[in-house]
Amino acid sequence: MSIWSEATQQRARDILSRYPEKRSAVMPLLYLAMAEEGHLTNEGMAEVANWCEITPAQVQAVASFYTMYKRERTGKYLVSCCTSISCMLLGGDDVLHAVEDESGVPHGETDQEGVLSVEHVECIGACGGAPAVQVNYELIEGVTPEKARELVQWLKKAKPEVVNTDEMQQLFGGTRSFDWGIAEQGGAVGPYPAFQPLGTVESEAEV
Amino acid sequence: MSTPLIVTKRMVDHPSDSHTLERYEETGGYVEAKRALGLTRDELVEEVKASGLLGRGGAAFSAGLKWSFLAPARPSYLVINGDESEPGTFKDRQLLERDPHQMIEGIIITAIANEVHHAFVYIRGEYPKPARRVQTAVDEAYANGYLGKGIFGSDYDLELTVHLGGGAYICGEETALINSLEGQRGEPRLKPPYFPAAKGLYMMPTIVNNVETVSNLPHILAMGSDDYASLSDNADTGTFMMSLSGHVNRPGNYELPHGITWRDLIYDIGGGITGDKELKAWIPGGASAPWFVPEEHLDLEISKDATAAAGSMLGSGAVIVMDEDTCMVRAAERVVRFFAHESCGQCTPCREGTTWLEMILRRIEEGQGRAVDLDLAVDVSDGISIGLGWPPKMTTICPLGPSAVSPIKALKDYFIDEVDRHVAEGGCWFPGAKKTLNTPVLVGSPTTRASRSAPRAES
Amino acid sequence: MTDLVHVTINGTQHEVPAGELLIKAAQDNGTYIPRFCWHERMNPVGMCRMCLVEIETPRGPMMVTACTNPVSDGMVVDTENAEVKKAQEAILEFLLANHPLDCPVCDKGGECPLQDQAMAYGPGESRFVEIKRHYEKPIPISDLVLLDRERCILCARCTRFSDEISGDPLIEFKDRGNATEVNTFPELPFSSYFSGNTVQICPVGALTAKPYRFRARPWDLQKVESSGMFDTAHPRLEIHASQNEILRYTGVDNDATNHGWLSDKDRFGFEYLRAPDRLTKPLVRRDGEFVEVEWPEALDIAAGRLELIIDEDGGSAIGVIGGANGTNEDAYALSRFARDVIGTPHVDSRMDDALASHFLAATVDRALISDIDEADTIVVWGPDLKEEHPTLYLRVRRAAQELGKTLVVVHPRATGLDDRATIKATYRPGGGFELLDEIAEGDHPEISEALSVDKVVAIVGIASHADGPQLAESVAALVRQKSSGTKILPLNGRANTFGALDMGLAPDLGPGRLNIESPGMSTAEMMEALDSGELRALVMVGADPIGNIPDPRSAINGLDAAEYVISIDLFVNESNLNADLILPASGFGEKEGTVTNVEGRVQKVNVVRPSPGAARDDWEILEDLSRHMGKGMGFSSSETIAKQISETAPAYSGVTHDLLEWDERDGVVVPIDGGQSFDHIPVALEGPKAPGAQFTLHSARVLYDDGVRVRHCASLAPLARGPVVQVNPQDAPGLGAQDGSSVKVTTGHGTGEFTAVLDPDTPSGVVFIPFDQPGARSLGTDPVVRLKVVN
Repeated sequence: MSIWSEATQQRARDILSRYPEKRSAVMPLLYLAMAEEGHLTNEGMAEVANWCEITPAQVQAVASFYTMYKRERTGKYLVSCCTSISCMLLGGDDVLHAVEDESGVPHGETDQEGVLSVEHVECIGACGGAPAVQVNYELIEGVTPEKARELVQWLKKAKPEVVNTDEMQQLFGGTRSFDWGIAEQGGAVGPYPAFQPLGTVESEAEV
Repeated sequence: MSTPLIVTKRMVDHPSDSHTLERYEETGGYVEAKRALGLTRDELVEEVKASGLLGRGGAAFSAGLKWSFLAPARPSYLVINGDESEPGTFKDRQLLERDPHQMIEGIIITAIANEVHHAFVYIRGEYPKPARRVQTAVDEAYANGYLGKGIFGSDYDLELTVHLGGGAYICGEETALINSLEGQRGEPRLKPPYFPAAKGLYMMPTIVNNVETVSNLPHILAMGSDDYASLSDNADTGTFMMSLSGHVNRPGNYELPHGITWRDLIYDIGGGITGDKELKAWIPGGASAPWFVPEEHLDLEISKDATAAAGSMLGSGAVIVMDEDTCMVRAAERVVRFFAHESCGQCTPCREGTTWLEMILRRIEEGQGRAVDLDLAVDVSDGISIGLGWPPKMTTICPLGPSAVSPIKALKDYFIDEVDRHVAEGGCWFPGAKKTLNTPVLVGSPTTRASRSAPRAES
Repeated sequence: MTDLVHVTINGTQHEVPAGELLIKAAQDNGTYIPRFCWHERMNPVGMCRMCLVEIETPRGPMMVTACTNPVSDGMVVDTENAEVKKAQEAILEFLLANHPLDCPVCDKGGECPLQDQAMAYGPGESRFVEIKRHYEKPIPISDLVLLDRERCILCARCTRFSDEISGDPLIEFKDRGNATEVNTFPELPFSSYFSGNTVQICPVGALTAKPYRFRARPWDLQKVESSGMFDTAHPRLEIHASQNEILRYTGVDNDATNHGWLSDKDRFGFEYLRAPDRLTKPLVRRDGEFVEVEWPEALDIAAGRLELIIDEDGGSAIGVIGGANGTNEDAYALSRFARDVIGTPHVDSRMDDALASHFLAATVDRALISDIDEADTIVVWGPDLKEEHPTLYLRVRRAAQELGKTLVVVHPRATGLDDRATIKATYRPGGGFELLDEIAEGDHPEISEALSVDKVVAIVGIASHADGPQLAESVAALVRQKSSGTKILPLNGRANTFGALDMGLAPDLGPGRLNIESPGMSTAEMMEALDSGELRALVMVGADPIGNIPDPRSAINGLDAAEYVISIDLFVNESNLNADLILPASGFGEKEGTVTNVEGRVQKVNVVRPSPGAARDDWEILEDLSRHMGKGMGFSSSETIAKQISETAPAYSGVTHDLLEWDERDGVVVPIDGGQSFDHIPVALEGPKAPGAQFTLHSARVLYDDGVRVRHCASLAPLARGPVVQVNPQDAPGLGAQDGSSVKVTTGHGTGEFTAVLDPDTPSGVVFIPFDQPGARSLGTDPVVRLKVVN
C-alpha cells in the first residue's frame, strides 16, 4: 500500500539494509520521497514514517530541521547562491541579486512554470572559489554576476535534463577552490542531491 | 617549507586521477590497512597516541587518546565526520573528492583499532560530488574485498555506509551528528552523560573522527609515529591543512608545516591581499574563532597553543581574510547570521540570543542603529558566553551559540569607531552598501523558508 | 540503602544520595534552583538553561546545568553568585524576548512558572525592541487541547511526555533555531489518551485544556485531594472547584500509583457531575411515568414494598447488585443493608464479566503497583492496559522503557504496550487456553525463559470476552509454576471493585473477605432467578447490568420480569429506565469516604461541592431506608462507618479517615492474604456457531466507553468510537468493505450494524468490536461472527 513506485520501494529496502536500525534511514528516505514527487509532501513524510516505523510527526520533526528537504513546490532547477562570509566578501550578494533579477524569482521562491527556484544559502564549502552557486547541489565556483545571468538564461532555454558540475563550471565558473581533476559524467535531475544509493545520479546518455 | 606533503601528496602528484583505486594502489594504497589487521587494539592506539595526531575537526584533541577512551561495551561504531560546514572551510571536500581511498584506508585502520564492524561516513548533503566519489570508492573497496565480510581475506568484517546530511551545520558537532545518523533532529546531546566514547550511536561506544584525521592514519602507520611526530618541532605534529579564502590573491587549501606565522600564510602562501590593499582583519580558524588584526597578531606562530594564548583557535583550519574596504559591521552580521540560521533551537540562549544579535547588527548596518546597541549586543553576548572570555564560559549546551559572540567581541575590541560611525551617519559607507538603508528592518516573522535571515533584495 | 555523599551548596554542607541530580539534591535541602524544562518524572534535557549554577572543578569554576549533573562527593556548588545571577537574568530575558505579555488573559496567569520566575529572578524590563515571533493563536491540536505557540518557551516537556511517558509521539518540535515550534503533523491530531498531562506540566500557558479555558483564575480555586474513579489504580488527583462547580482535576505526584499522571478520562471525567439530567429528586413510577416525590414518601414506598416481599417470601426473594462505583463506606452500608436489613445472601457487585471474587480479593502473593518497578519480568495477559487500565499502562511502559524490564504481552490483537514488549504473543480470541497449554508444554521457549526468573509480576485479567474469566487464574497458576517469586495483580473494571469485595459485596464473601459457607447468587444468576420468578425484587446501587453484562439478554429479561426494582443512581440508565423507584445519589467530589484500589491501597476521597438538589450519599439513603423498615443500622457519618469497618474487617484495622487525611495521603495498603490458591483449570469454550462464520470476534472494552458517566461528559463523549467493527485491511477486499462501510454483524446471539474501520492492529481473520459501544452488546460474547457489507 505504498504510494511509491516499485523501483523506489526497492531503493528504500536497499537503503534500510544499510543501517542497523530503521529510524536511521529517515534522511535518505526523505530524499527518495522528494525524488518521487519533486518535493517533500505530507504524503511523502507519512510514507517515510511507515518505512521507518515512527510517527509522521517524528518524520516532520526531522524533515523540518534540515534545509534540503523542500516542503514546498520546488522548481526543476534549484539555484542556491552562497552569501556567507567568504562569498559575501567577494560579491556573493551581487551574484544572488543578478540571479533574482535575471530570473524574476526572488530568493525563497519558485517561478510559475516550476522551472526555477532561487534561494540564498549559508556556506557550501567553496570558499576558495568564492562566490559559489549550486544548481541542484551541483557546484559552480568563481561565478560573477554576469556569468550568473548567463547561467539563468541557459537553464531556462536549454533546460538540461541533467545538470553536470564540470560542464557548468566550464560554462559559467571561474576560480576554483582546488584542481578538480578529470571531469565527471552524469549529474542531478532534480532539486535534491545526485547520489548513487538514492538512484538520483543520471548520465546524459541514459536520458 | 621543506616539510613533505602527507594527505595531499597524491592529488598534487596526480592531479587528474588521484581519486581512482588504480592510482591509489599504484601509489602504495591499502598496504597499511592490511598490516593493521595483524596489530592489536593496544598497539594501534599507542602508535596513534605517539604520533601526536590531533583531531582535525576543530577541537584539536589527541586522536589516540580519544580512541583509548572507548568504553568496553560492544558493538562499537565509527562515524567519520564529513559534515564540513564552517564558513571558510573546504579542506575535507578536497580530501573526500580527490582521495577517497586514503580516507577509507584510514577508516579501516580506525575500525580495527576500535573493534568496529560497522562504520559510517557522514557527508554534508551539499557535497553530492564528494559523496559520489566516496560511494564509488566504497563500492570498489567492497568489490575487492577490502570492505564487507572478511576484509583482505581475514575473518574481520567491516561494513561501511555513506550517509548524506540534510543541510545543517550543527551536525558537525559530534553528538548532533550521532542524533542525525539515528534519524533524529540534529540537536547536540548533553555531555555528560552522552560522551560518544561511552554512549554514542544507538547508545553504544562510538568513535567520531574527522575526514582529515583518519586520512593521516595510513601515513602514520607507514612512516611510524616517530617520523610523523618529528615532521614538526613544536607541540603540534605532522602537517596541517588550512583553507584560505577572502581577499587574498591565492585562495585555496594548503597542507602546511608547523612553525609558520600568519604573515607567512597570508602574504607568502596566499600571495598577499587582492589589489594590494591593506589587511584589516582575519578570522584564524573558521567562523567560530575570535578575529585577529594585523596590529596585534600578524607575526604570531600558527599553532594551537600560540593561537589559544592570543584568545582564539585554529578550529577547522579556515582563514578568512578581510581587506581595508570591508565593513566590519556587515562582516560581523554575516557571521552572526550564519550561527543564528544554524542554531538548532533547543537551548534558550543560542536560539534567542543569536537571532537577537543578528537583528541588532542588521539594524546598525542598515541605519537603524542606536548608541546603546553595541553595549546591548555585548550584554546579550555576555548572556551566551559569560564574560566573553576564551575558551568561552558557555550558558549553552554546545559551542555554537558562543561562536556567534566572536564577531561582537571583535567589534568591541577593535572596531568601536566603525560601529559608532554607522550609528551617527545612519548606516554604512563602505563599497557595496545596500540601497535599502534607512528602511525599517522587518524581523521577527518566522517562516519555513530559507529567506528568514536573507540579505534584502533591492526594492 | 543508597550511598550518601557530601555536597556543599552555597557554603553549607549537605549529605545527599549519591548520583542524585544536583537540582533535586539542592531542592531537598532547601535551595530552589529555578527551572522550566526539568521535570522530576522525565529524563533531563538541560534545554532551557535556567538552572545554570557554578561548580568548582580542577580547571576552575564551571557553569553547568543543575538538572543534568549528578552530585558527586565533595562537589562545591554556588547557585547565587554574580555570574550565576547574570546567567539567570540573561536566560529569563531571552525567554521573555518573544513571549507575549498576555498574562491577564492567560489561563496560566497566577500559577505560571515563567511569570513567577520572571518576578523572582528576572531583569525587570526587556531591551528587546524588535518585532516578536507571531503565530496563529491558539490552534486546536486535539479535541481537548489547544496550543499557543507564541507563549511556548520550547522546554520540550510536552514532546518528551508524549514520547517518553505515554508512547504516542504525535507532538514534536518542528523547524529549527529561532523558528522552532511545537506542532502536530497536518491532519494527525494529538489524540493521545494522556494529552491532558501536557497541559498540566506546561510551564507557561502554551497548552490549555478546552474544558478549563477561561473558566477560573487559579487563586479563586478551592482544592481538595481525591482519587480518580475511572481506573482501578485510583490515580491520586486534586479537585479544583469554584463556586461549587468542579472545574478541573490535576494529577498529584506520588510514588505509589500514578507519578502525577492522569488519563484524559480521569482528568476530564468530572463533567457528568454537572450534567443537566442528573437526578436531583426521588422518582416514583405512577401509571407508567416517573413522578418526582419528596424523600419521606419515597422511602415509605420503598420500605413498604421491601417489607411486604420479606414478609411473604423472606429476604432471599430480593437480590442486591452494585456498589462497586461508590466508596467503601457506601459498599459496607449496602452489604449490611442486604445481609442484615433485608436478610438476603444474594449480593454481588460484579456484573458477570469479572474474575472470580476469591481470585480478585483473596489471592495469595498479591502484587503492589510499585512491584512492577522491582520485577525482572512483567507479564501482561489480560486487557489492553492502555484502553482499560491507563494508570497501570504508564507504569508498565515506564518499567519496560526506562528501567529495562523484560515485558511479555499476550493479547488477541495489538496493544499499546507492544512497542515496548520484549515478547508479544497474539492469539485467536477464545484460544487462550490452547496457547497456555502450549506454553506449559514448552512450545514457546522464549516465553518460558522470560518467566524463569526470580521476580515476576503477572498482570492478569480478561483479555477478550471469548476467553471467559477463568483463563486469568490459569495464567497466574502457570506463571507461579515457572517462578516462585511471582506476584499477581488481578484486574477488574469498575473502579472500586476491590473495595466493594472487601466490604462483602459478593455472594461468597462477607465484609473483611470472610468466606461465606453457603454463597448466594451472582449477578447473572439473580437475573435468571428474576426471570424465573425465584427472585421477586432487585435493589441496584450504581449498577447498570444491561449496560455491563457481556450478554445483556438475561439482564433485559430479568429486569423485565422483576416484580419490584429500586435503583439508587446519578442518572436514568438503560437498566433503571423501567424501575419502580429511583433514588438520586451523590457522586465523587460530593461525598467523602475511602476507596480501595487494585493493589489493596485504601485512599481517602473528599468533598468539594454539595450534591445537586436532593441527591444524597448511598449510605445515607440506605441508612434512612433501613430506619423506615424499622431496622436502622446506626450510621451517622461516613467516618463512623469507616470506624466500624476497621473493627469488622481485620485488614482494615486502624484505617481511619484521620489517618488517611493527615498522615497517609497516598493511602495505606491493606494486607491481602486470603490464602486462596488457584490451579490451572482448562475450560473448553464452545460457543454456538453462526451459519457461514467468517471471523473470530474479539470483544473487549476501550477507554472512551458508552457508559453513563462518559456519555454525560461533554468533552469525552465525542471521543467514543461508536459502533465500529475493526477489520484488518487484508480482509477488507474479500468482504467488499472499505473504511466507513456499513457492516451487518451476526453472531449466534444477535445481530447489529456497525461501521467498518480498517485497522492493521487487528489480525487477519479476527474482528474487533469494542464491547462498550452502542449496539455491541447485542452480539453477546460468542466468538464466531459473520460479516456482511450493507453499503
